[in-house]
Parts: sequence; C-alpha cells; structure tokens
Amino acid sequence: MNEKQGLSWSASLFCELRTMSTESPSSVRKVVVHLRATGDAPILKQSKFKIAGTDKFAKVIDFLRRQLHRETLFVYVNSAFSPNPDELVIDLFNNFGFDGKLVVNYACSMAWG
Amino acid sequence: MDVHNYSLLTIVSCCAFLIERTKTCPSLLNESLCRCVNTISLTLVHCNPRICHRRDMDLKGAVKDIIPWDGTLSSSDFYLSARTFSEKWKMFNPSFPPWQWIPSSKHHLVASHKVEGYLSLENVCHIKSSEEEESNSSLTWEEESKNSQSEEPFDYATLVCPEDEVNHYDFHIVYSSSYRVPILYFRSYRSDGQLLPFNEVEKDLPGHSAKLRSESKWTFITHEEHPYLNRPWYKLHPCGTSEWMKLLYDGDSTLNRNGFVIEQYLVSWFSVIGQVVGLKIPLEMLNTVVYNDS
Repeated sequence: MNEKQGLSWSASLFCELRTMSTESPSSVRKVVVHLRATGDAPILKQSKFKIAGTDKFAKVIDFLRRQLHRETLFVYVNSAFSPNPDELVIDLFNNFGFDGKLVVNYACSMAWG
Repeated sequence: MDVHNYSLLTIVSCCAFLIERTKTCPSLLNESLCRCVNTISLTLVHCNPRICHRRDMDLKGAVKDIIPWDGTLSSSDFYLSARTFSEKWKMFNPSFPPWQWIPSSKHHLVASHKVEGYLSLENVCHIKSSEEEESNSSLTWEEESKNSQSEEPFDYATLVCPEDEVNHYDFHIVYSSSYRVPILYFRSYRSDGQLLPFNEVEKDLPGHSAKLRSESKWTFITHEEHPYLNRPWYKLHPCGTSEWMKLLYDGDSTLNRNGFVIEQYLVSWFSVIGQVVGLKIPLEMLNTVVYNDS
C-alpha cells in the first residue's frame, strides 16, 4: 500500500468509526410501532408510537391495555403469531418490521359459549 | 357408463348441490360441510384412485373458496401441522428436547386408517429460583443441572436435575375432535414423582400467564382426564382457540393461504399457548410462519 492509499484507507476507517460512535446504540434507538385495530376493537386516536428498542413487548401490551381500558386484549403480528411479552421490541422490529415500522394488531375478546 | 362412473356422477352432483346450498345458507355449518366433503372425497378415492385424486382436490378447493376459514383443522391436518411444528422446533430450538410424535389410538377395536396420536415433550425441568424473580420475566427452562456435571456434554438420556429445587413438566399437544383444534395438556411433578397441586404449578407460571388466563379468557386451565392416558392432567381449555386462530390469520379465506395455514397452524397456535406456560418460540422459527404476499 503506498502512502496515498494508506491515507485514504485510514480516512475511511476514521469516518466509519465516527459514524459508529454517533450512530445510536440500540439502547437509544427507537422503533416506530403502528397499532392496528381489528375486528370490533376500538381504534386509537393516535395509532403510531415510538418506543425504545430495548423495551420489552410487554410495554406495548400494557400501553394498549391502559389506552383502551381493557384487559381482554389479543395482540398479534403479521397475521401469524402473538409475540411473547419478554421479546425486545428491537428484535421484533428487525425480524418482522416492514416499511420502517412494526405493525401490531390488536383485538378484543369475543363472546363464545 | 360403468358402475364407478355412475357413482362418481351422483357424488359430484351432490357436491355441486351442497356448494350451491352454502351460497344461500352461509350458516350451514362449516364443520358438517367439511365432513361431507371429506367423506365424499374419501369415497371418490376409494372408487377410482386414479381419476378421483384430482377431483378430490378440485372439490376441496372449491368448497374452501366459498366458506371463510373457521379457525379449526381436521385430524389429518393436525398430523401434518404437528410434523412441521416438531421439525421446526428441532431446527430452531436445539436447547430444548424435541417434540416426539406418539402414535396412539382411542379405538382399540376398530382399525383406523387415520393417523392418530399426539405430540409429547417430557421431563422439562423448571428450576425454582431462590430469589424473587421479576414479575414479567419468562421462566427459564433448564435442561441441565446448574451445579454439577456442567462439563459433560448434554445428553437427554442421562438427564440429572438437582433434587429439591426442580419441578418436572410433561407437555402433550393433543387433537380434539369435538373442537377440531389442538389442546395443550401438561402435568408437573417433583423429582420423587409426586404430582404438584395447582397452587404450586401456578408459582412456576410466568407473571403474564395469569392475565392471559383469568382476565382475557382466551384460554383457562382445567383439570381433566387425558384422552389417551386416562389420568388427570391440566389442560388449557380450547373453547376460544378457533376464535383467536381466526384472528391470527385475519380471517383470510383465500385458497392460496389455506395449505400454508394448515402447515403453520401449530407454530402460530403455540406462540399464544406457550406464553401461558412459559415456553417461547424462537423468533427465527416465527419468521418461517410469516406469510408475505409481496
């Protein structure tokens, strides 16, 4: 590597390091969660929220419960599964997020015999 | 026209009639109609396997197109789904023992061509923590003793758990022909084999389990006879299962999804049920369930 190459190499390395340090570590990174009502569940006035990535999904569930004054919620993602409350929001977003947000569906209990 | 073709024609016209009926009477029960189609399909196959197979698929497809999915599955679908579930579990959850398919039959006198049995996951040790755990934390299911023998490679056959501190759990996933959904049965016992009373079991369950059971009523625990083993086991009641399974799949009734839904049914189902007993599905495994149209 000649001097010029060496310089540009270290310059790019420096830039990368700088980016890494200013880029928020996941503890600061927020995730956009879009809460979607399904069935006859009430629709929230504000359905999009930002939540810290390191928070557990339990926080989203609790938030919904408080907003809707209901305990009987069923919460699910991507028309396929219900996330465990202990999962980190950032992990859910990384795996199942789409278009820059995590869509979380919720429904209220139904009456059955 | 020989006898076979004549029977075929009759059966096909019956099916056409049934399908027409559902258009005017949507309340015509999913279940009985599905059963009719299944019986008819079986008859067709029996009559003339070569040409009937394709007709069988067409009929089932036609019916499924019309009737919205009711959140249930047939016994043979359960077997398919159980296979998919246990394969994925083995692949994505190697820290747990695999689910085993136990062939069993309730009808000992009559030979059944149906594949009957249940999934079994046994001797999962739950180590009681000495300190207070946070109310929101999941249980940690440990297969290995924390203290001794940690250097040895893990071997299910020589599983040893420390005596006093551990409760053992057996889980069975059994198909219910009356509800047409899977049911989770479980039991818990100490190392000396003594069964645990429910108040002890409840201490092992995660904090959010109580919310799921008593408040939401999506399911609740009852103590009933195991359908194959004739012993009392705890079970998560299935009365709400078809409702929330329908929700999970957003009531999507398109034919394309149905095959997919059946295969992934148990994975999605377990993502809910597992929360009640503190068993988690790894995110990588859930990733395989997500259906992307785009």
